[in-house]
Amino acid sequence: MKFSLPRQALILVAFSLVPGIGQAIYLRDKISWRSPIPPSEMVSVDQARAWGDSNIWIDARPDDEFARDHVPGAISLNEDHWNELLPQFLATWSPGKKVVVYCSAQSCDLAREVAERLRKEAQLPDVFVLEGGWEAWLKKNR
Amino acid sequence: MFDVGRLAFSAAMKIFWPVFAAILAAVAVIVLIATKKISLWRIVDLIIAAVFIYAGVLKAIDPVQLAHDIDHYKILPWTIGVALAFYLPWLEIFCGLALIFRLFYRGALSILTALVVVFLVATIAAKVRGLDITCGCFGHASQNWSFPAHLALDLAILAALAALCYCSVARRGANASPTPMRCHEV
Repeated sequence: MKFSLPRQALILVAFSLVPGIGQAIYLRDKISWRSPIPPSEMVSVDQARAWGDSNIWIDARPDDEFARDHVPGAISLNEDHWNELLPQFLATWSPGKKVVVYCSAQSCDLAREVAERLRKEAQLPDVFVLEGGWEAWLKKNR
Repeated sequence: MFDVGRLAFSAAMKIFWPVFAAILAAVAVIVLIATKKISLWRIVDLIIAAVFIYAGVLKAIDPVQLAHDIDHYKILPWTIGVALAFYLPWLEIFCGLALIFRLFYRGALSILTALVVVFLVATIAAKVRGLDITCGCFGHASQNWSFPAHLALDLAILAALAALCYCSVARRGANASPTPMRCHEV
């Protein structure tokens, strides 16, 4: 039985849906469909503030944005000057401290990337990304 | 002196087996074509199928990383990127298998050609926008490849797919007369 080209393509597309959907169901806890950052790695402004002195704020934005304004006590750590800024940050970190990384807004990817590097390269536990970023901080602190 | 010799031997052994396997494979291909057991186009079919099945399997193993790689292109919303990360590897695998077993052959060729074209356009667009992207084509295996290397491989795959599409159309010609590339041999 010969199928036309569109029908052949449609059958292949349909067949591929089956394992894809199966895998999506199987791995539903490994990935968030709403955000690149899993819920376990995100923290709201209120939650982060509740941690008080046991957290360190990391600003992942470029230097000029950090210089303009930032969370009080935050340390600048961005990918542009990673090698220079990382040692300064590590000097302030100690076991038990939670690290909260933020960038400009929810859509910004910089905080997620810096957080990932801190987990993988610096092997730090308890690294979180601020939900809503700097924008969310400003809204809560106006 | 002894350490230098040992290091050199170790380095030679690391490249020996891949080079030996490549030489064996090349000899096997030449023998098969010379004895007319298999045509050149069937070899191209099998190589392209193997490439896509290999790429699909590598991506299917880590769909979370693939979702992030798709997100880096900043073209699609995150949710759609996740859906594609779960779906595209299997589409590549099934299309590769279709090329090998010659089931839904033309459909598979069309899908793979469309995938490569879309991917090439997205990659070039991302580069023009100044995005520093990791291809994700072969999962972690291609993480450290340079952009020109990726581009060269994708263009080579596209050229092979285009040639296979041409042969497929030629084979379906009413007169089925031999084309200059002898597409009718299987």
